[in-house]
Amino acid sequence: MSVRGLRIGGTSLAVLGLLLVGLVFGLSFFWVSTEASQGIAQRIFYIHVPAAWVAFLAFGIVALTSAMYLWLRDDRLDRAALAAAEGGMIFATIMLTTGPLWGKIAWGTYWTWEPRLTLTLLLWFIYLGYFLVRSSSENAERGKRFAAVVGIVGALDIPLIHLSVVWFRSLHPQPVVVKPDAPSLPGDMLSLLMLGLLAFTLLFFGLFLLRYALETLRDAADARERRATT
Amino acid sequence: MLSKRSIVIRSGLVALLMLLVFSSTGIAQEATQFPQATAMGQQSLKPYWHVFIAYAIAVLLILGWVVSIARRLASLEKRIVD
Repeated sequence: MSVRGLRIGGTSLAVLGLLLVGLVFGLSFFWVSTEASQGIAQRIFYIHVPAAWVAFLAFGIVALTSAMYLWLRDDRLDRAALAAAEGGMIFATIMLTTGPLWGKIAWGTYWTWEPRLTLTLLLWFIYLGYFLVRSSSENAERGKRFAAVVGIVGALDIPLIHLSVVWFRSLHPQPVVVKPDAPSLPGDMLSLLMLGLLAFTLLFFGLFLLRYALETLRDAADARERRATT
Repeated sequence: MLSKRSIVIRSGLVALLMLLVFSSTGIAQEATQFPQATAMGQQSLKPYWHVFIAYAIAVLLILGWVVSIARRLASLEKRIVD
């Protein structure tokens, strides 16, 4: 796909995603019923869970494209991994900041070193390392390869985060949607959560395409400047 | 150095954003007084500031990423044209 196509597609998806995110915010304040035991604080759930989903999706894309980059050495795959990693960090930061705000009300503390929280913080630091490894290597190609390895290793943490509430004693709530039985959320809460997941996913893919277009343009500009100097 | 027009536009956007967030949380606080809010829910309404901060963080980070991508794209285009 051309850079122009990426920009048009990315902008359209991002605008649609932003509109839907705005709708989710509005519905979470004015439409969905208030949860009985947690009150208004439970509304944080409608941004925390979609942000977590998108962060894991993004880091999954990083791992997949990084593995394919190590195999095929195609720069387009590295660009896709970089674009997804940046989005993953943004949404992981939303997840890691909104969770403790809810935790303060539900648990009485912003942070506790229980398995899911600790593993999620570890994931955030691993992908911070992804950017540090890329930028600290003097040889750009070597930096890309090392970062790809970090991207793959980091994604191994995702299933551990999901299963940690089942395997270990954990303060974090048990799954209410992705579990063997039917979802245990009331209908309106489940509908809004699904809309939130769709909105955040569309927004992520829109911005991912724009970020990918940015890297493509940067590589083209660098190549042009190299040709001009030789 | 930012131009005067740019400063005015940015200040307006920030003010609009703050107005939206503040009015949403204010109205949401009132909405919870409606009959569907349970007695237990009403008892735990005090921490609405946590909800406000959580939504504000999400808005700021997402918009920050959007603006960052737009600025980098614009500067790259300028570099290519030059």
